[in-house]
Amino acid sequence: MTRLVPADYQPALPLHQLIVQEPPGPEAIELDVLFVGGGPASLSGAIELARLVQRDQQQGGGLGDIQIGVLEKGERLGDHCLSGAVVNPRAFRELFPELKDSDFPFGSPVQGEAVYLLSEQGQVRLPTPPTMKNHGFYVASLCEMVRWLGEKAEQLGVNLFAGYPAGALLVDGRRVIGARTTPSGLDRGGKPTSSHQPATDVTAKVTALGEGTRGLLTQAYLEWQEIPSQNPQVFALGVKELWETKRPLDRVIHTMGWPLPNDAFGGSFMYPLQPTVVALGLVVGLGAPDAGLDVHVLLQQLKLHALFRRYLEGGELLEWGAKTIPEGGYYALPARRAIFRALKRGDTSAAALAEYDAQVDASFIRDDLYRTRNMRLAFKGGFYVGGIKAGLMTLTGGRFPGGRIAMPADAKAARNRAAPASFTPDGKLTFSKLDAVFRSGNATRDTIPAHLIPRADVPRDVAELYTHMCPAGVYEWVDGSLRINPPNCVDCKATDVLGPRWTPREGGSGPRYKRM
Amino acid sequence: MKIAVCIKRVPDTETRIKIAADGRSIDESGVKFVLNPYDEYAVEEALRRKEAAGSGEVVVIALGPDAAQETIRTALAMGADRGVLLQADARVLDPSVIARALVAELRDGGYDLVLFGKLAIDDYHHAVGPMVAELLRLPCVSAAARLELGDGKATAEREVEGGVEVVEFPLPAVLTADKGLNEPRYPALKGIMAAKKKPLEVKPVTLEAGGLEVLELALPPERKPGRILGEGPGAVPALIRALRTEAKVL
Repeated sequence: MTRLVPADYQPALPLHQLIVQEPPGPEAIELDVLFVGGGPASLSGAIELARLVQRDQQQGGGLGDIQIGVLEKGERLGDHCLSGAVVNPRAFRELFPELKDSDFPFGSPVQGEAVYLLSEQGQVRLPTPPTMKNHGFYVASLCEMVRWLGEKAEQLGVNLFAGYPAGALLVDGRRVIGARTTPSGLDRGGKPTSSHQPATDVTAKVTALGEGTRGLLTQAYLEWQEIPSQNPQVFALGVKELWETKRPLDRVIHTMGWPLPNDAFGGSFMYPLQPTVVALGLVVGLGAPDAGLDVHVLLQQLKLHALFRRYLEGGELLEWGAKTIPEGGYYALPARRAIFRALKRGDTSAAALAEYDAQVDASFIRDDLYRTRNMRLAFKGGFYVGGIKAGLMTLTGGRFPGGRIAMPADAKAARNRAAPASFTPDGKLTFSKLDAVFRSGNATRDTIPAHLIPRADVPRDVAELYTHMCPAGVYEWVDGSLRINPPNCVDCKATDVLGPRWTPREGGSGPRYKRM
Repeated sequence: MKIAVCIKRVPDTETRIKIAADGRSIDESGVKFVLNPYDEYAVEEALRRKEAAGSGEVVVIALGPDAAQETIRTALAMGADRGVLLQADARVLDPSVIARALVAELRDGGYDLVLFGKLAIDDYHHAVGPMVAELLRLPCVSAAARLELGDGKATAEREVEGGVEVVEFPLPAVLTADKGLNEPRYPALKGIMAAKKKPLEVKPVTLEAGGLEVLELALPPERKPGRILGEGPGAVPALIRALRTEAKVL
C-alpha cells in the first residue's frame, strides 16, 4: 500500500504577501500598542495594559495618552471564538481581583464529572485522571467571555476594531511597525465592487500577535525571523455542537475510545452550559494515520451512542462550529530566547521584554505546560500505549520519561489511503456538513475572492483527504479535479495544518458563533 | 444644514428568535443587536447631505435601554457628530408613545431635516416617523428612495407599485428612508477611533403608558419539509396528483 504525506502537496507560506517592507500609507492610523486578534489573550493583555496606563496617569506619570487597539476578523468580538469550555476561574480572578466569581460570564459550575471508555454498544466508567479533574471550575461559552472582556476593554478606552482582519505585518528592516488590514468588497476576480474598502495600515510601537490557533502572521513572523521551537506545533481538530435538550445534564462528561480508531488521539466532551443547554464535541489529533479521518462524521456517529442519545433525542441543534487546537504544549513553544534575539536586532525594547520571559516562567502557565510537557506526545504511538505513559507522567509530575518525546508536524505524518466512509445523516440527531455550516451562522458573501491556496496538481487521494478533513464541506472532488467552495469555510484552520493554505478574507466573513 | 436621524437598536435579521417564558416578549439571551438596517440608509443620507453642504451637524437620537449607546456609537463611527440616548428600560410597543418622547427632544432642535428608517425590522410599524411629522406639524415623505435638496425645499422619489412617485415639499421636513436610497458605508478604522471622543448625551425619560398591549407572541408554523417525487417526465403524474390533492392548487 502506498502512503501519502500531506506536506508533499502543501504550498509554502506566501511570505512576500504576509511580511510587507513598505512605508505605511497616507491614510494610516497611528497607535501605540496593537493587538492582532480579539481573543481572550489579546483582550486580557489590552485590559491590563490600559489599567497600567490609567494608574500612571493618575499618579502623574509621564506616559501621556497611550492608544491601544485590537484588530479582530470576526464581524463582532467572539464571532470566531470556540472552545469546550470548562474554565478555571483563576485567570479571571487575577485579572479582576475586585470582582466575584458570580460577576464573571460563566455558565453552570461543574457539579460532577465522569470519564468513560466507549465501545460502540456500551461504556465503562474510568476513574477521573488528575489532569481531567474540574472541581471548582465552570462551564462557559468562550464567545460570551470574549464579549464580556471586550466591554471591559472598551470601558478602559481600548479601540476595538471588529470586522478588520490583519492581512500582513508592516515591517521596516527587521522591525515590525504595525499591520495592514485586508481590503473588503472585492469580487471573485479581485476587482473592487461598489462596497469596496481598501486596506488600512495601522502602525504601532509594539505589535502583539494573538491570532489564536494556527495564526497566519505568527507563522510568517517565526519563519521570517527564523525562530525555531524544539518540536513543531501539532494540532487537533475539534467539532462542537450546542443543543437545547429536553433532559437536563448535571455533570461534565468526557469519553475516550469509540468511534475513534485506536491509532487516533482524541476524545469527546459533553458539558451543561445551562441545565438544558448542552455543549458537546469531539477533538481528534490531525496527525492520525487514516486519510479518511472525518471528525464531523465521527461526531455525528458519537451522538447515536446511548450515552449521548439519551440527552439529545427530542432536543434541538442550536449551533455548530469547528476549530483547531494547538496541542504541542511546552516543547512546541517558539524558543523565547530566539524571539528576544530577533527583537534585539531591530528593537531597543528587547531588554524590557526579557522580564516577560521571567514572569511566564514563574507563573502557573509554565507550571501547567511543563508538568504535562510530554503528555500529548506520548499518544503518537496509539491510544493504549499512550494511556499508560500518560498515567506514569501524571504520577511523576512530568518527570517520566525524562527528556523530550520528538514529534513530527501533522502534515509530515504519513497516511494510509482513505477507507471509503459513508454516513447518511437523519436531519434530526445527525447533520450533513452543509446543514452544519448553516448552523455556524456563516453568511459569507458568495462572491468573495478565493482565500484558500491549494497546489495546482492535487491528485484524487489527496483531494479526498481534504474532503474528509474539512468539517465545513469546503473541498470536493468533482470531474477529475479539486473543487473549492471558499464561502463555506469557518476558519477552523485544519486546512492550513494539512492542506491548502488559509489567508484572511474581508472582515465579517466566516462563522458568527453566538455561544460556542 | 442640521439633520437629526432617529435610530433604533433591533435584533439582527439573522437572529433565531426565541419567545421568553412570559409568552409576550423575546428571550434576549444570546441575541445580537444591531442598528436597524433601514436606519443605516437614513444615517448615510444625512452624512452625504452634510458632506455635500460642506458644513452642518448630524445628530443621532435613539430611544432605548442603556445598551443602545453601542448602536449610537455605530452611527458616530460612520460619521455622525453627536448622539442622544433617551434612556428607557421598558420595551414600548405603542409608536405614539415613542413619537411623543422623540418630539420632546426634536422640537426646539432647529433641524432642517429629520430622518428615520421607513420601518424597524423588529416591529414593522412604519409609524414613528409619520407620527413625529404630524406632532411637529411638518411635511412627511415616507419610504423615500431618492432625495434632492434645493433652497428651502426638496424633491423626493418614492417607489410605488409599478412606478415612481415624485414629490416636492418645503423644509424643514420629516423623511423616512427606503432601501436603495444609498449604499451605507462601513465604519472605517479612523471613524471607530473618532467615535469614542464624540459627545453622547444620556437622558433618562419617563414614558407615558401606551394604548397597546402585547397579549401573545407566537412563531410562524414550521414549514413542512420538501420531498422529491422523482425525476424526468415519469414524475409528472405524481406531481400533478400532489398539486391537486395535497397542495390543492390545481
